[in-house]
Amino acid sequence: MRNEIELEAIIEDYLLGKLSPEEKEGFELLRVNDPAVDHKVVAHKFFLDSLKQYGDMHSLIQKMDKAHAEMDMESLIEEYKPHPSYIVNMWRKNKSAFAIAASFLLISIFSIYSIQHNTKQNGTYEVMRREITNIKNSQNKLVRSLNAPAKQEKGHLNAAKFGGTGFALTANGYLCTNFHVIRDADSIYVQNNKGDSYKVKVVYRDPQYDIAILKIIDESFSPLATLPYKLKKNAIGMGENVYTLGFPKDDAVLGEGYVSSRTGHGGDTTQYQVSIPINPGNSGGPLLDNQGNIIGVITAKENQVEGAAFAIKSKYILEALNAIPQDSLGKKVAFSKKNPLQGLNRTRQIEKIEDYVYMIKVYN
Amino acid sequence: MSNKLSSSVPTDREVVLGILNNSEDVLNRLYIGYFPMILQLILNNNGDEDDAKDVYQEAIIILYNKIKSGDFELSSKLKTYIYSVCRRIWLKKLAQQSKTTGNVSDFEDVIAVDVDVEEHEEKDLQFEKMGSALKNLGEPCKTIIQDFYINNLSMQDICEKFGYTNTDNAKTQKYKCLQRLKKLFFKPDTA
Repeated sequence: MRNEIELEAIIEDYLLGKLSPEEKEGFELLRVNDPAVDHKVVAHKFFLDSLKQYGDMHSLIQKMDKAHAEMDMESLIEEYKPHPSYIVNMWRKNKSAFAIAASFLLISIFSIYSIQHNTKQNGTYEVMRREITNIKNSQNKLVRSLNAPAKQEKGHLNAAKFGGTGFALTANGYLCTNFHVIRDADSIYVQNNKGDSYKVKVVYRDPQYDIAILKIIDESFSPLATLPYKLKKNAIGMGENVYTLGFPKDDAVLGEGYVSSRTGHGGDTTQYQVSIPINPGNSGGPLLDNQGNIIGVITAKENQVEGAAFAIKSKYILEALNAIPQDSLGKKVAFSKKNPLQGLNRTRQIEKIEDYVYMIKVYN
Repeated sequence: MSNKLSSSVPTDREVVLGILNNSEDVLNRLYIGYFPMILQLILNNNGDEDDAKDVYQEAIIILYNKIKSGDFELSSKLKTYIYSVCRRIWLKKLAQQSKTTGNVSDFEDVIAVDVDVEEHEEKDLQFEKMGSALKNLGEPCKTIIQDFYINNLSMQDICEKFGYTNTDNAKTQKYKCLQRLKKLFFKPDTA
C-alpha cells in the first residue's frame, strides 16, 4: 500500500516532469525493466489526460453556459422560431436564392435598359444619317450648281441650275444618268465634248436605284457611232482599278481610283464603294474598269468619310433598260460582245469614250 | 451587460488565436455571435432552444478541440463549419429520436464534417464516462480529485481546505480516491 502510493507519486511527478534528471533516468530504467511499472505509467497517463480533458471541457461548458445566460433567449426564439407565414419561411430559407434572383433581375433590367438606350442612340444615328442623306440629296449628290451665268447656248439661253454627267447607252441617243440629277427638272439639255447641246427627255426614272434614262429628242442630233464600251453584267471584285469621266466643270475631268468595297453607303448592296476623287457634277458619270467596261454609275460620296464615293452597279442600269420597250431603244442595247476598248491604254480608251459622255444641264 | 462591445462576431482568425490563447472574451463573442444561426436551424427542424444549446455547445467543443489540437485549417468560413457540424449532430439526434431520418431544412451552406463529428463522439463518450465516474465517486473524493488534477491546487492547499492533519494523510486520501475513480472509469459500461 505504502509502496503503491509512493510509486504513483513518482509516476505522477515523472509525468509532470518534476523529477530530477538522475531520478528520471533511474525511473526510465525501471520502466524498461519492469513491464508492470511501464503499464502503470501508460495507464496513469491516459487517465490523467482524460481527467485533464474532462476538466477542460467542463470549464469550457461553464464558460459557454455563462455566455448563453447573457443572451436574451426570449427575443431570439421569437425572432427565429418557425414562422406561421409561408412567405416569411420561404424568405428565411431562401435568402441567398432570393438575393441571386433579385440581382439577376436587376442586371436584366439594367441590361435591357442599356440595350434600349443603345437602340435609342442607334435611332438618333439613324436620324442623323437620314439628315445626311437629305443633305446628300440636296447638295452632296454632286449636283453642280451652275450659279455663274452660262455662256450662250444653242436652244437655251438661261443658265442651267444643276449639272451632272451622263453617258450614252445606245447609238440612237439613250443616255444614262442619276435620277437625282434630273429630279425636279423642267427641261434638260445635254452637251457633248464638242460643245453641242441637245434637248433630252426623261424616259425612265428609278428613284430607288437613283437611275434615270434620258432620250435625246433634238432634231439636230445625229446617231452616234457604235458604242466603244460595254456594260458589265457581273459584279466586280474589290481592288479593281476604275476610272470615271465627268463634268465637275465645263470640260470632262478624269478621276481614277479603285473599288474599295462591294457595298455602298450603309452596306447598300446595289452600290460599290469606290475610292475615287469626285466632285459635284460627277454624278451620273460612267465608272469604267481597266478593260473599258462600264461597271457602274457614279452617284454620291460620303462627306464624313475620306475617299468614299459610291457607284450604282451596272446591273441596275440593265434593269432600267429592260423596263423600256426594246423597240423604242432601237438598236439592241446589249453592247457588242467584244469590247473595242480592251487592250487599249487609258489615254486611248478615254479618247474613244469621251464622245459618249455628256454633261447634263438641268433647268427648273 | 456590456453586450455592445462584446457582441460583435469575432473574425475567423480572431477565433483561432483567441481559443489558442484561452481568451474568454473571444469565446464569449463567438458563442453569442453564431448561436442565433443554430437556434434558427434547430427551432425550424423539430427542436427547442435546449436542443439548440446542446447541439451548439457540442459544435463549439468540437471546434475548440480542433483548434487546440493544432491541426485546424480553415478550409471554409468558420460560420459554415459551425453550421455544418451542428446540422450533422442534429441530424444524428433526429435519427436517434426517429423523428425523421430525412433531411433538415437548411439556412446556410453546408460542408462535410462527418469525420470531425465522429471523432468528437468518441471523446464525448469519455467525457460522459469521466463525468459519471466523478459523480459516482462522491464527496469529498470528487472535490479532492478536481482540485488537485483539474484546478491544479497543491497538496498543501487541499490539506488546509479539507482539514487534514498532514499532507501524507491527504496524499493517501487522494490516492484512494484516484484508485476508486480509475475503477469507476475503466469498468465496462453498466448502463
